[in-house]
Amino acid sequence: MDAGQNGHQGVDATMAQAAIEYAYDQGWSDGLPLVPATRELVDRFLAAGGRPADEVIGHLQQVDRTVTVELLAINAAMAGCRPEYFPVVLAAWRALTKERATSGGGWQSTSGPAPLVIVNGAIRKELGINHSGGVFGPGFRPNATIGRAIGLTVRNAYGIRPHELEQATQGLPGRWSIVVAENEEESPWPPLAEDLGVPGNAVITTLLRTCEFVDNRHTSDPEQLLADFADSIGRSGAWIFKHAGAGVVLCPEHAQLLARAGYSRRDVARWLVEHSGRTTAQLQAVGKDNAEQNGVRFPGQGEDPERFQPTLADPDKVIVAVAGSRNAGISMVVRYFADWSGTPVPVIGPEAAAITHDSSIPEEALHG
Amino acid sequence: MSHTLHGILDPTGAGPAQEQAPPVADRARRPPSLTGLRVGLLDNTKHNALLFLRAVGDLLTTEHGAQEVSIVETKQNFSVPVDRSIVDRYREHCDVVITGVGDCGSCSAAAVADGIAFERAGLPAAVVLTDAFDITGRAMAQVQGDADYEWVETEHPMAVLTEDEVRARARTLVSEIVGRLTMAEAA
Repeated sequence: MDAGQNGHQGVDATMAQAAIEYAYDQGWSDGLPLVPATRELVDRFLAAGGRPADEVIGHLQQVDRTVTVELLAINAAMAGCRPEYFPVVLAAWRALTKERATSGGGWQSTSGPAPLVIVNGAIRKELGINHSGGVFGPGFRPNATIGRAIGLTVRNAYGIRPHELEQATQGLPGRWSIVVAENEEESPWPPLAEDLGVPGNAVITTLLRTCEFVDNRHTSDPEQLLADFADSIGRSGAWIFKHAGAGVVLCPEHAQLLARAGYSRRDVARWLVEHSGRTTAQLQAVGKDNAEQNGVRFPGQGEDPERFQPTLADPDKVIVAVAGSRNAGISMVVRYFADWSGTPVPVIGPEAAAITHDSSIPEEALHG
Repeated sequence: MSHTLHGILDPTGAGPAQEQAPPVADRARRPPSLTGLRVGLLDNTKHNALLFLRAVGDLLTTEHGAQEVSIVETKQNFSVPVDRSIVDRYREHCDVVITGVGDCGSCSAAAVADGIAFERAGLPAAVVLTDAFDITGRAMAQVQGDADYEWVETEHPMAVLTEDEVRARARTLVSEIVGRLTMAEAA
């Protein structure tokens, strides 16, 4: 739908290729081609974001590197974002900086964690952020590029590159592309961010170790369905410390089944906290039965073998979102790298710039 | 913001100065031996790190003449290099420092930065990293402007070793650690 809007006439394809190769040569790329970020293009991002270019929005102590609005805008432009996505990129970046996991060594970790960005509000539709079929998959420019903007900023502005300061043992597929809009239209509950006190355009985010599907088209019993999630959440391999963090991104079919049975979002979280886990004997079999308040689990003697050890600590820290198509009972467990603050961040930007589909920013936004 | 070829903007914000920081290889002056000296240990919280450091501390006092282990602290955030107040505390309470064990992505890099910070403050330091993290250690040494900084390397992994294996590891490495902290050559 974007074809023809960007003035394709007169583009020299050979020059475009040279610019792409130039960016590769600088070491800026995550492996895929980058859009050359020019002053004129980045200025349109800055106008859409409505924040001063030199505002500092991130600092990583261990490398003493800083992210400014300008650097985020350059990386967002390179990632393939359109200028009007920039308020969402800004909100996602701000939300990530509020998460404890990103202030330490998260970006360098052997876990190779991925940002999860969930978007609420009318801006989902204005920007065309996918909220339905294939919501975790490829095919949609904002979903693919907003996350990539975060990844390029970590790589370039913080200087954390794979095989150097970034030490992911295996990483995970789609690390920089887990951006989903909530399917508010088919969710039985209020938008997630609104439930957490921020109505309208907002993002929530945390870092993930992975996403794990739960395919249950087998039961209409809410407790059987929830038990299927609890089994995935409780698996021992994901456990490092006393507790592990996780949430669920439910497909509309699963969410509606639970809502019809009287479950609120909070009820779902509470049920999962109560029922996700393993017995001491099960954990002993994998050398993880002993847990102290701090520190990693370690092999013990399996005392009190039938004691149930819960995976999750706190229902307020369990994401329960709704996204995907209503065409099957397939949902996703989202497995946190560390934890989740439970704090949404509003998407703020010059209104005219945020809602326009045209790539040109209105004059008043440029000077506003 | 530096403009580059073809009007393409630089997304790093680093600029040439930060990319090519001049090497500042400030090493603390080495004592001839550890005899009578106070040893500081800095634990980075990784599994087996404190056990290993204490085992090294025992060997230094019982077999290498060190007076005592005089300060043992655990880092609050293993990803972040030590700040001025921690460095000052160690400078006050000990004569040499051993820190580690770099056994993860961010803590290994931070341990290298810690060693460089102690050296710049005049404290001889021995940093212990497992050999899986040599590249990230080197990357951090470059970030800190001390690209040739040397640490003590040990075989990966460390976290899964038993207590006896950790003690054996300490014994294997102790002479190299002594060599790193003094003017003596590593045996």
